[in-house]
Amino acid sequence: MDPIFDPFAIEQWARGTGIFAMMNSKWGWPIAEIIHFFGLCLLIGTVGMFDLRMMGVARGVTMKELHRLVPFGIAGYAMCVVTGLLFVVTAPGQYLYNPAMQSKIVLMMIAGVNMAVFYGTAAAAVSVTGADDLPPIRARVIGFVSLACWLGVIVGGRLVTFYRPPEHWCLWCVS
Amino acid sequence: MDLIFSAVEQTPFSVWMREDLYAYFIALIFHSLGMALLIGGGIVVSLRVIGFAPAARLERFRGFFPVMWVGAVMAIVSGVALLIGYPAKALTNPVFALKFACLIGAAVLVRHLARELFPIAERGEALPSWARSLGIAALVLWLGGVAAGKLLLHTYTILLVS
Repeated sequence: MDPIFDPFAIEQWARGTGIFAMMNSKWGWPIAEIIHFFGLCLLIGTVGMFDLRMMGVARGVTMKELHRLVPFGIAGYAMCVVTGLLFVVTAPGQYLYNPAMQSKIVLMMIAGVNMAVFYGTAAAAVSVTGADDLPPIRARVIGFVSLACWLGVIVGGRLVTFYRPPEHWCLWCVS
Repeated sequence: MDLIFSAVEQTPFSVWMREDLYAYFIALIFHSLGMALLIGGGIVVSLRVIGFAPAARLERFRGFFPVMWVGAVMAIVSGVALLIGYPAKALTNPVFALKFACLIGAAVLVRHLARELFPIAERGEALPSWARSLGIAALVLWLGGVAAGKLLLHTYTILLVS
């Protein structure tokens, strides 16, 4: 028994709000998928490229200036979260107990913590690093972890359909 | 044309792509990662050409090109594998052609921008007025390729094998 999520209640809520009908209309799901992938592209195109720059790629591009593109990545992340929630509430049984989805969520949480560590410990040093220089080792590691997490999120997303029900992974469930 | 598709679909590699438990998903994963690197690099260059992050030296964005090349090779190799698995499904769908047109158009445009604009930026001169429009066009084409790719699953009409 799942003490946290009630897939039936979630789906009933989606039906009551009209989300279920919208997502199951002819173009509802495809349009949400497109927006989801636009969001991922913005995320990788800005945050991912910033991570690469911190790792030493594209030296000569000022990290302080490149960081000004990160709001596009935040917008992309918001697009992913909103559309991702639409997928989950429309087909909770497909996602909640899916190991690929669970891995995806864990990787996003690691990316979030990693981002907090970046702004808490490395952002100041990165902002004064010269255009042709490498940032401190801490920032390089943070960039690597961030990029690995976001690419892992993409892999997790691709594997969601690999683990369709009756796959049922629920570490938090009680018997 | 159906005969050609059928012949390809009967090859051992095509059958393996469809029937092996992991082959199709592994190709899909590599395709997604490759596209992420290719389009991610394309987006950051396009945004800079449009005028965002103006103090970053445009010509140094060529440092992202090797990443885009790696992504392109990954996407093409895995894409060919996926195509061999379901040639009729993909090649009879006009949206597949649209995806290709968008991605090739975007890649050609970025190459053009690099050839024309990077030397100007290197000399410290102002970019021409048309640069911004081409940057927007490149961004639209990258995202158009993504949209068309996602629509493939929902728009195919012919499936000779399953």
